[in-house]
Amino acid sequence: MPGMPGAMPPNALGQGMPSTPTMPYSPHAEAQVSTPSKIDPNQIPRPITETSVVIFETRQAGQAAVPPAASSEFIVKDTGNCSPRLMRCTMNQIPCTGDLLTTSGMPLAIMVQPFALPHPSEEAIQLVDFGEMGPIRCSRCKAYINPFMRFVDQGKIFICNLCGFSNDTPREYLCNLGPDGRRRDADDRPELCRGTVEFIATKEFLVREPMPAVYFFLVDVSMNAIQTGATAAACSAISQSLSDLPEGPRTMVGIATFDSTIHFYSLKRAQQQPLMLIVPDIQDVYTPLQMDLILPVSECRDSLEQLLESIPSMFENNRVADSAFGAAMKAGFLAMKPTGGKLLVFQSVLPSVGTGSLSARETEGRSNISSGDKEAHKLLQPVDKTLKTMALEFAEYQVCVDVFLTTQSYTDVASISVVPSTTGGRVYYYFPFSALSDPAKLFNDLRWNITRPQGLEAVMRVRCSQGLQVQDYSGNFCKRVPTDIDLPAIDSDKTIMVSFKHDDKFQENSECGFQCALLYTTVYGQRRIRVINISLPCTSMLSNLFRCADLEAQFTYVVKQAANGIPSSSLSQVRDQVTSTCINILQSYRQYCASVSSSGQLILPEALKLLPLYTLALTKSIGLRNDGRLDDRSYWVSIVSSVSVSLAVPLVFPRMIALHDLTSRDDEDPLIPNPLTLNSENIQDNGIYLLENGEDGFIHVRNAVNPATLEQIFGFSSLAGAPNLLVLEQFDNVLSRKVNEVVNEIRRQRCSYLRLRLCQKGDPSGDFFRSLLVEDKAPGGLSYVEFLVHVHRQIQSKMT
Amino acid sequence: DSCSPRSIMAADPSAAAAPADPDGPDAVRFTWNAWPRSKVEASRCVVPLAVAISPVRSPESLASPPLPYPPLRCKPPCSALLNPFARVDFAAKIWICPLCFSRNHFPPHYAGISENNVPAELFTQCSTVEYLVAGPPGSPAPLPPVFLFVIDTCVIEEELEYVKLSMRKAVALLPEHALVGLVTFGTQVHLHELGFSELSKIYVFRGSKEISKEQILDQLGLSGGGRPGFPKMTQQPGVQQVNGMHPLVTTGVNRFLLPVSECECTLSTLLDELQPDQWPVEAGNRAIRCTGVALNVAAGLLGACVPGTGARIIALLGGPCTEGPGVIVSKDLSEPVRSHKDLDKDAAPHFQKAVKFYDGLAKQLVSQGHVLDVFASALDQVGLAEMKLAIERTGGLVVLSESFGHSVFKDSFKRIFEGGEHSLGLSFNGTFEINCSKDIKVQGVIGPCTSLEKKGALCADTIVGQGNTTAWKMCGLDRNTSLTVFFDVSPSERSGQPGHQNPDLYIQFVTSYQHPEGQMRIRATTVSRKWVDGSTNTEELVEGFDQETAAVVLARYISLKMEIEEEFDATRWLDRSLIRLCSRFGDYRKDDPSSFSLHSNFSLFPQFMFNLRRSQFVQVFNNSPDETAYFRMLLNRESITNSVAMIQPSLISFSFDSPPSPVFLDVASIAVDRILLLDAYFSVVIFHGMTIAQWRNMCYQNQPEHQQFAQLLQAPQEEAQVIINGRFPVPRLVVCDQHGSQARFLLAKLNPSATYNSAHDVPPGSDIIFTDDVSFQVFCEHLQRLAVQS
Repeated sequence: MPGMPGAMPPNALGQGMPSTPTMPYSPHAEAQVSTPSKIDPNQIPRPITETSVVIFETRQAGQAAVPPAASSEFIVKDTGNCSPRLMRCTMNQIPCTGDLLTTSGMPLAIMVQPFALPHPSEEAIQLVDFGEMGPIRCSRCKAYINPFMRFVDQGKIFICNLCGFSNDTPREYLCNLGPDGRRRDADDRPELCRGTVEFIATKEFLVREPMPAVYFFLVDVSMNAIQTGATAAACSAISQSLSDLPEGPRTMVGIATFDSTIHFYSLKRAQQQPLMLIVPDIQDVYTPLQMDLILPVSECRDSLEQLLESIPSMFENNRVADSAFGAAMKAGFLAMKPTGGKLLVFQSVLPSVGTGSLSARETEGRSNISSGDKEAHKLLQPVDKTLKTMALEFAEYQVCVDVFLTTQSYTDVASISVVPSTTGGRVYYYFPFSALSDPAKLFNDLRWNITRPQGLEAVMRVRCSQGLQVQDYSGNFCKRVPTDIDLPAIDSDKTIMVSFKHDDKFQENSECGFQCALLYTTVYGQRRIRVINISLPCTSMLSNLFRCADLEAQFTYVVKQAANGIPSSSLSQVRDQVTSTCINILQSYRQYCASVSSSGQLILPEALKLLPLYTLALTKSIGLRNDGRLDDRSYWVSIVSSVSVSLAVPLVFPRMIALHDLTSRDDEDPLIPNPLTLNSENIQDNGIYLLENGEDGFIHVRNAVNPATLEQIFGFSSLAGAPNLLVLEQFDNVLSRKVNEVVNEIRRQRCSYLRLRLCQKGDPSGDFFRSLLVEDKAPGGLSYVEFLVHVHRQIQSKMT
Repeated sequence: DSCSPRSIMAADPSAAAAPADPDGPDAVRFTWNAWPRSKVEASRCVVPLAVAISPVRSPESLASPPLPYPPLRCKPPCSALLNPFARVDFAAKIWICPLCFSRNHFPPHYAGISENNVPAELFTQCSTVEYLVAGPPGSPAPLPPVFLFVIDTCVIEEELEYVKLSMRKAVALLPEHALVGLVTFGTQVHLHELGFSELSKIYVFRGSKEISKEQILDQLGLSGGGRPGFPKMTQQPGVQQVNGMHPLVTTGVNRFLLPVSECECTLSTLLDELQPDQWPVEAGNRAIRCTGVALNVAAGLLGACVPGTGARIIALLGGPCTEGPGVIVSKDLSEPVRSHKDLDKDAAPHFQKAVKFYDGLAKQLVSQGHVLDVFASALDQVGLAEMKLAIERTGGLVVLSESFGHSVFKDSFKRIFEGGEHSLGLSFNGTFEINCSKDIKVQGVIGPCTSLEKKGALCADTIVGQGNTTAWKMCGLDRNTSLTVFFDVSPSERSGQPGHQNPDLYIQFVTSYQHPEGQMRIRATTVSRKWVDGSTNTEELVEGFDQETAAVVLARYISLKMEIEEEFDATRWLDRSLIRLCSRFGDYRKDDPSSFSLHSNFSLFPQFMFNLRRSQFVQVFNNSPDETAYFRMLLNRESITNSVAMIQPSLISFSFDSPPSPVFLDVASIAVDRILLLDAYFSVVIFHGMTIAQWRNMCYQNQPEHQQFAQLLQAPQEEAQVIINGRFPVPRLVVCDQHGSQARFLLAKLNPSATYNSAHDVPPGSDIIFTDDVSFQVFCEHLQRLAVQS
């Protein structure tokens, strides 16, 4: 919680049998599991929704302030540290030594989301132009000027906050110091008073002219794609999105379709019918024209729209079932190679021919089920290095690939996702694709993909103060050198996790600075450097670490680590790993911070009191649960690799709200009602519930629902024969309006359209819904209370 | 003065003028019309025993209309066709084959024959006869001709416009049912899917990579097994056949080869929109042109769609192949295209590889029965030397010119599509077979054909050209197509015995082919010549000598030797042959040159050899390898008369004093008040004497009082036009004036009887030639001296 002063005294509430703890819960105290023989399920820690909007000043009185929860609504005032949306550290005080960090059991990492959407009321990031001179940098470590660089000797020298080097201040940049030791112009210069600024890049940052914004669409037109309506949906989505492309002469488009051959289109020829150029060699592809495959959108919009309209009918009778996905990507890449850009691939079947073709490994997996969990995870690894090699080449030439999988069957997401995850893109997954409900989501996904804040041909590096060093980067990028990561594209949805390790000690009361520098090109062709700084106090007190721990960032770390582990170890191992991470942290707290008297109790640090609940949810998530399709798990892994802190938590710990009684709410109330606890006790028989995780929206309709309510929301009064995949329409009634408002608000919050699915009792979809109620006991999964008992026992056994 | 060179040359060149049809009704010409019986005697003849035949020449000259029934054949292994030389026993209904002396019973349907009721093939005047052959049952004749155009787009806009113009004319001239396909190429190959209506659909093949036929088929979805995903074309009852093709291949036919009537619009649009290759050409580099892959793709497509039926790839090339298989020169302009010198010194790094590639292509095309025609129009070489095999083995047409705008290309190209009087009579899918008396062996064939490797007793041990077979494939043949067959005599012991000797030898040529109208036909020509007994009887041999044919056969023979034998000295070989021939057949006293004279049948031969030595066929270093290949391909496929013109051009003088008359091919024939018309086959030169040129420049011809001058100017033009109209490829017309720069086209061909060395002897107004070459007179003096040496 923000502004919580001092270390919390361990506060044990009684003693007793550890096996039957009770958990009186107070939001203002450390959570404890106490002895009374029964646990009151209503007293165990659960997230509470903060309804008021907090204004958060990133530094107060010269001190880094502990940021509000990522999931809460807040407005940031950048007073020296960056907005926590852009960078959030797993702990808001940095342990002075590596030993202390190890003891805590907690991870030290920052989550960088360089283009995170700001709150509408926040001040925009300021752009600083140093002209020819370029941004001031430390001449030793090349860190960019920031509010934590100290000017001394009448401002003639500045000392780098990261490496400690004393630099001569350039003459043009000299300024006298005030009585407080700060430069007199500090408050007028954004780079000296703001945690985040952007610099105009000078020539030395350019290896070539900034690239144009290039969008190349690749559409699967193989038999299945055509017959399921996926091709039509893709063409329609592209066509509708054309008007959302960045305006100006630097926006270029191109398109190709493919089945067992690749079909390029030359749209240059103004009055003539377009030219279809077929590349039939899918083992060794090439581009059929040097020019004219990619044109400024202003020159070809009409002909492109016409083409998009005719593609579905042109291939109407296509009997080619094969799909040369890899070859098509390679061919598209070759067309874009001179510029780089975004390659948007609409794929509908398992790529079966040509370079990078894949096989139905899923059946292999099923037939091998007897061999047990041991080998199963291999099916979650890419089948070979072909696509990875391809992706590395794409990244080298600044081509970012997004793959829209509109499919009815296994497509080997594990192999396919390598390409987007290496090139800064992502997989969009529509399974099973529905020509009825999915086109809207496809269009919205594509439009958001194009319109969200983003940068092209980016390079990112994170620097930190001496004492720490970057251990690893994780996310969707390509890494060629140990220090930098290459991002052919980076957008507001993508987060990169950077983990650190100690290589030295910090002095108590010193500060540790982190600086993320992102060199990128805007979609309008300007080269910029976004510099994001945070400086955190160092501490040698373990209790400080626990007090300032950031639950969501830490949990995001755990989720990402788990996702990383899924393809390389068995699910049970990953689950054990996740649970033991939780236990180790709690044990450390129990051992070193809690009072001796509370030895019989499960004592949870206040900041991390939800860690067990989230950990339990994680073990039951799509990624870690035993049942489920391979592709679903691979998709989950691919999503997690770039997921932001604010979306990682809901992805495993979804939000459930009741829809049927929305009319009882006042218009002044927040749009979204308080989430319900994720257990079946909260489900009423006459209710309609929406459970969303940022990706999917599951609408659970109970048996005793009033048909009139059904009619109001869905337009039908009986569920018999209702499709599983929903199109939520707005009808002329209050309830429908409110439901739509809620759904739209969720979409806005999650930057995601949500695939709405109807879950009915007595149907697999109903069972699936039940399985998302993470507090419930499930086959092979503990209930929340049971899990707490389990954690407690584990800690106890470790301590003895 | 009977021994002067003039007497050897024959006093009047007009005597050399060909009779009305020098090749006779059979279009067969022998070097020797009487054959020695022994190998030794044959070799003493110097000039090989050879026959030039135009297998399907001038159907108008046939004595009988085509016979609507299949021919009768002798029993195997002879299998000769019934012919007028057969002895027929009408009573016993038996015929005796003149070639092998086997007795054959007539089949029942010949039961009605008698002395008064003889089938046409037995008429003496029907030594050449044609049969109509019904196709296999169920195959609806006639087959449409197939034209697959392969157009080079690595040319400047202007040249491409010329191509389009010619293509439009061609399409308009094509018969409606003819199937047409289009491939364009530059850096890459574009195969146009003419059957796709919604937009212009093009299959693009990379130019840098050789691609197998199977890959092409697979990539086009045409492979027999059906590529996964493509519907397998199973033969279903009731499936309508398209254009008479097997339904298996109709997908390809429907997509890439369409009847003209169905794709005229599409083609026209494609031609309108066709642009020069869009790939950039770097400075200092040649355009990237992948001729090899383009032809590869074209051959693969035809192989998949129309195997075994008459089809031709018509390639319009505007420059050298610089990319992929068949490269003849690198992209770097600093590397010149190989010359004869480079080939000689083994300094042409791409040559062998390219030849090998085109050899493979030739094999593929021959096995499919398809033709490669090349129209090369460029200032630079395009690689005809490398492609020669593929063109010649498939019986393709070849035309070399400087530009697609030049009449040599334009008019020649048009000719191949024209019907009527000037029709080339393009036929397909020919098989040429030889049956002959058993003392005769076949050494091989020079000309546009490929051995079918039908080995047998008739094959000689020594091979010339396409040998070791008695059957040849002629994928493409036309009225002009001529073959030279080389024979050897190999008397068996039995035939050596007196009393068993047959005085006549028989040779039968059987050509089956797909007529331009689509049906299959068989043309059979049976000829008979006399054996000459003993070694002393030169008179009969001399009487039977055909010096024109002999000159042409030698030209073809040494051209082949120059190509396949390293360090072959053609000039020396020709000189020695001529001396040997003159020693053997001349009249002289030993060691007395002045006593030397030649029979009139030999009188022109030294001059033919003199000109052959100076010709493009022997003096290759004056030409590019492409030109040499071109000249040789035409030499090998043209009639004797035309080939003679290539070796020794004809020269006609036009003047006020006399009617147009042949004059000596000599610099002395030039006069200021004459117009000369030179027909060197590849070029036709009109050469105005200085005075004529001056008058013309003063426009006397436009003045009414100088009508006669206008007529004099007009006459050679008309004569030239007659020559041009009757010839394929259309020759280059050069109109020039005495002392003008273009006059070199004439001077190069003339006997240098007056050079700068002899300038003081030259009467005013005549010309001299700046050369150190010996004149014909000097040549003859040497010949006489050497011929009479003991």
